[in-house]
Formats: sequence, C-alpha cells, structure tokens
Amino acid sequence: MRSAIALSICAVGLAAQLFAHHSFAAEFDGSKRVTLKGIVTKVDWRNPHIYVYLNVKDKDGKVTEWACEGGPPNVLMREGWTRTSVKEGDEVTIDGALAKDGSKRCNSRSVNLADGRKVFAGSSEDNANNAKQ
Amino acid sequence: MPGRSRYWQRSTFRVLTICALASVAPAQWLKYPTKGTPRTADGKPDLTAPTPRRPDGKPDLTGVWLGTTKYMINLAADIKDEDMPFQPWARDEYKRRRATESKDDPSALCLPISVPVKQTITSPFKLIDVPAKEEFIMLYEGARHREIFMDGRQLSKDPEPSWYGYSVGRWDGDDLVIDSNGFNGKPWLDINGHPSTEALHVTERYHRIDFGHMSLEITIDDPKAYTKPWKVKESPRLLPDTELLESVCENNQDVEHMVGK
Repeated sequence: MRSAIALSICAVGLAAQLFAHHSFAAEFDGSKRVTLKGIVTKVDWRNPHIYVYLNVKDKDGKVTEWACEGGPPNVLMREGWTRTSVKEGDEVTIDGALAKDGSKRCNSRSVNLADGRKVFAGSSEDNANNAKQ
Repeated sequence: MPGRSRYWQRSTFRVLTICALASVAPAQWLKYPTKGTPRTADGKPDLTAPTPRRPDGKPDLTGVWLGTTKYMINLAADIKDEDMPFQPWARDEYKRRRATESKDDPSALCLPISVPVKQTITSPFKLIDVPAKEEFIMLYEGARHREIFMDGRQLSKDPEPSWYGYSVGRWDGDDLVIDSNGFNGKPWLDINGHPSTEALHVTERYHRIDFGHMSLEITIDDPKAYTKPWKVKESPRLLPDTELLESVCENNQDVEHMVGK
C-alpha cells in the first residue's frame, strides 16, 4: 500500500494540553502542528500514554518512523477506543503537535483510520482553554 | 428493621469487596448497568432524579464521579495571579515552574498527584459509603485509594508525612465534609505547579445536588505556602453504568523529551 506523506506545520496559536497528569508544554509545541499519514508499525497501549508508531514516506520515498502519543487507555476507552482500534498495518493519518526537542514525535489530537472513521486521541485543547495559563 | 439490617450487611460486604479490589482495579465493566439507578422511560439513567438517601436520611454519595477537568492544569483557575495569596518563596517557585513549563513536575515520573487535584482530573473517582464501618472509601483509577474515617477520630497534630495524607469526615447537614492533613509536600498541587508543604490542610465539602450532580468545594490551607486559605469550586458529575478502570502509570517515556524552556 502506498503511503504518502502529508506533513504540514502551521502556527495556530493553540495551547494544546494532554489528557494526562503532566505538562504538555514542556514537551510539545502547540503552535507547531503536524499531519502524518503512514503505516502503523506498533501500538504501545499503556499508561500514562499510548504510543502509535508509524512509518511515513516522503515524496522522495524515504521512510521515517514517527512516534505519536495519545491519552491514557482509561480515558481513551471512555472515548470509545479499544486496544485494537489502531493496529499494526493500518494506514492512518494523525493530526497533532510536534515535539520541542526535534525528535520525530508528536502529540496526537486525532487519528483518521483507513475506513474513514476519525477518533479523538486524548489531547485536549479544551482543557487548556478552560484553565488560566 | 430488616431493610436497615440489609443495608448495613451490604455495607460490610462493600468494604470487604473494596479491600479485595483495591490493588486489582476492575477493568472489565466499562459499561455495566448499575443497580438502583433511576431511569427515564427510554431506559437511560435519570441524572436529575432526587438524591438517593441512606436509611438514616443522609445522602448516599456512593458512585463513580468525574470532575470538570477545569482545574487539573490550574487549581487556582478562578483566582487572578495577583490575588493569589502566595508566601514570597512560593510565588518565586511557582514562577520558576511556569517559566520552565512544568518540566520538573514529579507526576511525570509517575509519582502521585496531589489529593486536591485528584477530584478534578480526567480520570474519575469512586466514592463508597460504608456506614457499617463508619467510613468512606475513595478509589481512584490510578489504583490508589483514601480512607475517610467517620467515627469521630481526630486528625493527628504530628502526622507522619505521606503522599495522600490522612482523612476524617463528618456530616454538616447534607454535606460530607472531609478534613485531611499529613501530606509530604512533594506533589505539585496542579500541572502548573502551585506548591504545597507538609503544613497543607485540605477540606473537601461534597454536596449531592441530585442523582447525577454534585458540588465540591475544596479549601487549600497551607500557611507555609499561602498567607491565607483559598478555595476551588468543582462540579463533579456522576458517570452512570460504569466502573473504574485500571490506570497504572508506568515508565513514562515522555520524561526525557520534556525539555521545557
């Protein structure tokens, strides 16, 4: 299956926050958004964050592995996820925020599945909007 | 009174069950009808039904509750920065933590988060009334728990510092009032990093408004960190037909990437 890269970074002025217990801002830049389309190589379904690993191919055919985190399983399960919602071999498109340290990591806001479903990935900008920063 | 006897027997069973499950959180019953839940004609939980009550007339607060999550980042979200009654060192430390974007938050190392903020986060808590033992049990999805003793005992004046402190409760009319002390000052009060010390005294006032809604006023009294007490007004809602899920923090791989500023 051909996997095209759709990588776009834009400043959106949003301060995304994790559905988690520690700082989003220390690790990710909510103003730098990324959209990654690729093939899932592994799903690490564990606390305090799940991780979806995916191989993303650029226009020159070079493949890079990215790691995108989501919320904790207990929160995601209440959002309708199961541990097999995203699995190895799936083609997905993840929308999220880039890591500050330059590593190939992102904080997932949503995951678009190959069948067209879009699932919330546990990053809550609503929380940030609710709270005084 | 057979009804009352059955209630106490149920309560005793509850506490035994809680002890059995406290270290093995149930993860199987994400959706499971809760007995005794009032329902509308279409079978959905009636969250505006009257507050359930114990045989002695006190509200039954038992249930799985979820805060609004408004305060998990900033427990003082309703207080202007300039109005926060920081002690000078606490203001400096808070500024430092904000300036570094909370990269040193101990909870990122999977250490416990503070008791006040646990009632506001995205994971629910389960409050269980055990009248036969004169006790409330507070269970959290992080497989941790608190015991709130209702038997009239007093908090120690020289408690051994601990992450979750020690709690005693009392009824004030229909309000459950929980006083806690004996904290170790290690967890930040929230993600933003409001500090606390071993002098922290937390008061929680729970009032069940109806079947599905509760008001919760939390008072933070820590004279070593703040010049006067301050309050948080949370509004937990009941999560019907569900149970707590396991959520054990393990090996947070984010830590090495938390570079902050």
